[in-house]
Amino acid sequence: MTNLLNKEFKLAASPLSWFFLAAAGLTLVPGYPILMSAFFVCLGIFFSFQNAREANDVLYTVLLPLPKRAFVRAKFAFTCFFQLLGFVLMAGLTALRMTALSGGSAYAANALMNATPLFLAFVLLIFTAFNVLFLGGFFRTAYKLGMPFLAFAVAAALLLICGEALHFIPALRFFNEPAGARLGLQFALLGIAAAGYALGTALSCRVCMARFERIDL
Amino acid sequence: MNVLEVEGLCKAYPGFHLQSVSFSVAPGSIMGFIGRNGAGKTTTLKSLLHLVHPDAGAIRFFGLDLEAHEGEIKQRIGYAGGAVDFYRRKPIRALAEVTRSFYPNWDEAAYRRYMDAFSLDEGKTPAQLSEGMRVKLSLALAMSHRAELLILDEPTSGLDPVSREELLDAFTFLRSRGVAILFSTHITSDLEKCADHISYISGGRLLASEGMQAFLARCAREGMGETLEEIMVHCEKESLYDKLAE
Repeated sequence: MTNLLNKEFKLAASPLSWFFLAAAGLTLVPGYPILMSAFFVCLGIFFSFQNAREANDVLYTVLLPLPKRAFVRAKFAFTCFFQLLGFVLMAGLTALRMTALSGGSAYAANALMNATPLFLAFVLLIFTAFNVLFLGGFFRTAYKLGMPFLAFAVAAALLLICGEALHFIPALRFFNEPAGARLGLQFALLGIAAAGYALGTALSCRVCMARFERIDL
Repeated sequence: MNVLEVEGLCKAYPGFHLQSVSFSVAPGSIMGFIGRNGAGKTTTLKSLLHLVHPDAGAIRFFGLDLEAHEGEIKQRIGYAGGAVDFYRRKPIRALAEVTRSFYPNWDEAAYRRYMDAFSLDEGKTPAQLSEGMRVKLSLALAMSHRAELLILDEPTSGLDPVSREELLDAFTFLRSRGVAILFSTHITSDLEKCADHISYISGGRLLASEGMQAFLARCAREGMGETLEEIMVHCEKESLYDKLAE
């Protein structure tokens, strides 16, 4: 697996995957739908899949001395690496916004979602949607990328709208406090989202391995 | 023990059916796998590499079942399917570095010898090479990890006559070292120079799988021709003129 992951980074990875990690910085921007940062991290990963497909990576990898399913595991590990790196960056910037920057007037008057543990939970839901819809769709054929990415983009847009709309419900306004409110509840929701991410990704990986085994290349 | 045993391999596609293909390859021998375009050679070879899922049949390398021991088997075989057609924009050096990391048995000295013999420059990318040179690169990568069996799909297509002769020399040398080669081609004259056995597939059915000399002698007795090319033409030729006139 280490060799295969090394191959992903040396041959298959697009520089754009690294570039789009910088989108985590959007977490600091007031008046911006900051969940887009999660979408951009996934877009960066998509470019590596596109790069790999154009380079005929599937054929090269499947001929290496590994079981076919190892290819699927490596693609999931590669995806999770970028997602978790993006998540760590966003979590760090969220902590910064909730503490040192929480008194900023731009955040207090922010009409859109503030960076809170609930925001991080939505980030993980968007990542889960990518792993289930995009990766799950890609491994039906191992070459079609467009429709799976479109399915993910629609799901990400719905999650973004949902996340942005929540704090407009009067009873849920507290979710958007710049310094965070009812943090116990928010961290519990983050924990549930993390469990959903782990479970969704693991299940998607199993389904993809089974699908990839059946594909004639 | 044979290095490869294929029994009753079947695969159905719309418009094509691979029907119960069975053959075996002995250690240190060269098996020529012949047939016209679309006869089922590539489908058979892809099944051996687990690129295609057969509908039925058993594939065993070194006595091991392919599905159960895929990783272990692929360590012991090499494959070249014509020209290198992956990572064409990456330097050959980077491609070789990644490839060798997967093979504990990688023979760096042999790799350097093949690169020198084929006049390949590691600083170039596959995209900068001609078709023939990319075939040689594919072979250099396939032959550098001390494989016990080489599976080669049309390895001499696109090569000039001198390179083809050199390659056949390389195959003869590898055979003398105990390496078995399964060699698919429709350039039958190459096989007459080096193959010990022949498997002939036509329309998805294996017509023959036997020793080269025995096959040639049998076909000559039956009036099918003296050479592999004459035999193939005798067995396969349909009048295109009549077909077009229908």
